[in-house]
Amino acid sequence: MTGAAGAAPPREGDFLDSGRELQRRLVEEYYRGLAEAGGPQRPVAYMLVGGNLTEIVRSFGYEVVFPEIVALNCAIKHRSLENILHAEAMGYGLDVCGYVKNDLGLQDLGGSTPFGRIPRPDLLVCSFSGCYVYVKWWEALAESYGAPMFTYDVPYLREEVPYKEDIQYMVAQLWEFVHQLEKRTGRAFDMEELKRVLRETRRAEEGWARYLRAGRLRPSPIEAYFEAIFYMFPINVLRGTAQAADFYDVVNAEVERRVREGNLPLPEEKVRVLVEGVPPYTNYRTFWDFFRKWGAVSVVATYPKVGGLFDRGFLHDPARPFESIAEYSLGAYVNQSWTLRRKLIQEYLREYSVDAVVIHGIKSCRSFTAGQGDLRDWLIHDQGVPTLYIESDHQDPRYFAPAQIKNRMDAFFESLDQRRTTKAPATEVAA
Amino acid sequence: MAAPLLTIGERTEEEPAAPSLELSNDLAEFRSAAGVAEMVRLAGEVLGDPTFPVARAWKRAGGRSVATFPVYTPQELIHALGMLPVTVQGGGENLEITHADALLGSFLCSISKSTLEMALTGRLDAFEGFVFPYICDVSRNLEGIFARSLPGKMTHMLHLPQNFGSAATLPFLIAEYRRLLAKLERVAGRAYDPEHLRASLATFNRQRRLVGELADLRRERPADLSLVEMYLLTRLGSTLPRELHIELLERALAELTARHRKPRDALRVVVVGPFCEQPTLDLLSLLEESGCAVVGEEFQMLSRWYGDVPSEGDPLENLARAYLEAPVDIGVRATPTTKEAGILARVERTGAQGVLFLTAKFCEPALEDVVLYRRALEKRNIPYLQMEFEERSTTYEQARLQLETFVESQLFD
Ligand code: SF4
Ligand code: SF4
Repeated sequence: MTGAAGAAPPREGDFLDSGRELQRRLVEEYYRGLAEAGGPQRPVAYMLVGGNLTEIVRSFGYEVVFPEIVALNCAIKHRSLENILHAEAMGYGLDVCGYVKNDLGLQDLGGSTPFGRIPRPDLLVCSFSGCYVYVKWWEALAESYGAPMFTYDVPYLREEVPYKEDIQYMVAQLWEFVHQLEKRTGRAFDMEELKRVLRETRRAEEGWARYLRAGRLRPSPIEAYFEAIFYMFPINVLRGTAQAADFYDVVNAEVERRVREGNLPLPEEKVRVLVEGVPPYTNYRTFWDFFRKWGAVSVVATYPKVGGLFDRGFLHDPARPFESIAEYSLGAYVNQSWTLRRKLIQEYLREYSVDAVVIHGIKSCRSFTAGQGDLRDWLIHDQGVPTLYIESDHQDPRYFAPAQIKNRMDAFFESLDQRRTTKAPATEVAA
Repeated sequence: MAAPLLTIGERTEEEPAAPSLELSNDLAEFRSAAGVAEMVRLAGEVLGDPTFPVARAWKRAGGRSVATFPVYTPQELIHALGMLPVTVQGGGENLEITHADALLGSFLCSISKSTLEMALTGRLDAFEGFVFPYICDVSRNLEGIFARSLPGKMTHMLHLPQNFGSAATLPFLIAEYRRLLAKLERVAGRAYDPEHLRASLATFNRQRRLVGELADLRRERPADLSLVEMYLLTRLGSTLPRELHIELLERALAELTARHRKPRDALRVVVVGPFCEQPTLDLLSLLEESGCAVVGEEFQMLSRWYGDVPSEGDPLENLARAYLEAPVDIGVRATPTTKEAGILARVERTGAQGVLFLTAKFCEPALEDVVLYRRALEKRNIPYLQMEFEERSTTYEQARLQLETFVESQLFD
């Protein structure tokens, strides 16, 4: 999972405006900074997006690399396949998560990407939140680099209100982690500094959530999947910095301008779509075009919540630093049980006046995908919502069959179109 | 437009297939089994029947049973509440998958599909509840699908912690077990009593010791107990009332001690990978026919995750501690050392001459470990062979060829 299509090249005439330029600069600066990092002066921590501990690690002077985001940026730049093939030559099977193969292949090839060199890790922080592959991936990195690894065990969220024992468990681990970092860096932990950073974090999260909620408007001034994924970079990678928080102020001002000026994602919003699942980063624009062609706008999506369910109140809180970090880690979208995922989707359907759902299943991601067929069944039969399930991969272009996907999407949206004119029941357009 | 899916709650007309095996309510068939051969035959029939004849017999006799997905669940808790714990370890080679594919997605292991298929077709009706441990994302997600598919049944996703270095993990795991217990109490209709758990710990300790003896016997005298015999006798303990399994194992061990078959030349191998989905019995036989002596494996880890769990003090804490302190190094828990150290230690401990990676198709935890294991073995020039399997495999020509070539290349080098 993850998300942050940092380097997606927008087209001329897009509704994306000032946010896009600012985002491009932030991405470039981040990778430029990384290329110079490493060693005792500027040590590097590798971290996963789900349930991450960015704020704590940065407060000890670490630069943070998110291999998932590096991998997806490679995929957008059409550079994932060579890394994946290299990983397969190393022995990683066809069915291993594309992020893992892209990353381990890249590392073995020396870490050079179109956006700069990715430094080696001095520390591996495995936030085990939402994906078991995280543990396997980080074990492989630990053995390759001999870097120390800290596992932050985040229990799976099975009830809406987190169990107090789970919070206690995570808070205790956070203290242990802090003590380890103190020993490792020789620096004392500064709680006041963490609180200051968390204030910026919170500001960014509130801005991001406000942006996402704009999808409730009809017509929607935002594209809550393709555009939102593009704008995930600051919330996932730069969280805790003033730049990330300021970024969403810029974006939200732009969204307000869009509403005023009628500069919307599409000239006519014909279908309001909820999208579930990780995107095919290798064919991002092509996939988006398959929606646009039919006047389909994503007004809400689940994937932008993989880094945290900020729009549902799982926010960092400077007044309760560790407790709120624990709650945030618990709430990441794929760390939630299917029962909770269904409930969230049900609420989104209503709050965002959704007409149809598109589920994009990822062949090499069981965490997100295992059970999406059941979700489709539930949406069609229990919720009466037309739903399309398609499958490819987030990283491996060999699995993206454009003609087949386009045919299925055309058939789906065409039948929706017919339904709008004939008012047929929802289940009949279950492509 | 796709074919309509099975609507949950509605069962299809043709399902389930008539149960093939009816056992007596008191499971007398096992008590009267004349010897190892008879036990093994019965085990083969019982374990090959995806309608769970033992659980059905138990239910007819008025009992309640709870199914657990592999690899590890503290079944002692289920037992302590007077219920029958049963490991549901796939549907086997004969189960046809017609509904689960559509609900689960394509690129998933067979065991997840067969487990769901059995649920959707009424084959798991004998169970009152289902526990899915967090061994991987597939098992974890299955819980949520079961919760929707079988709304009247208890379901639980058990979070098995992965931070083995924290002082807070033990209290967390105890709390996690208490949550499971609370659900089990509702199913059992009775309250948890530490005394009962102490008794269950003793029963499971006894069972594990006997399973250990069986494994020792096989390691020392592989000719006297075939791999399939050992496998079936051990796996029987995941479905029979544990007291009955203990009786059988005691009798089996007494008989086996007197067995003396002629040893044959074979390559001593450790089998790594099938900790969850299980290979068919035919594939297990093929390993031996091809000249492998399996001296270490991961087939039924639940029955030997740890040694004796002490019953003094708080039995729940002891159970949690036993899980956390066990140095088990398999694909579904964070490695206690490194993968390299783990595999080399296993080879050394068992005196194996090679490693056979038998990975279930689409089983990501196993597939990822293999790369690190292979790297470690290559550094030491320890031979290995990697093969994929599915619980529904039916043809073995390719596997036979690979195995025979591997064995020959090592034995007659
Ligand atoms: S398996 Fe899925 S959730 Fe896990 S790392 Fe890969 S893409 Fe992310
Ligand atoms: S076979 Fe592997 S992937 Fe499938 S449920 Fe078992 S551990 Fe998970």
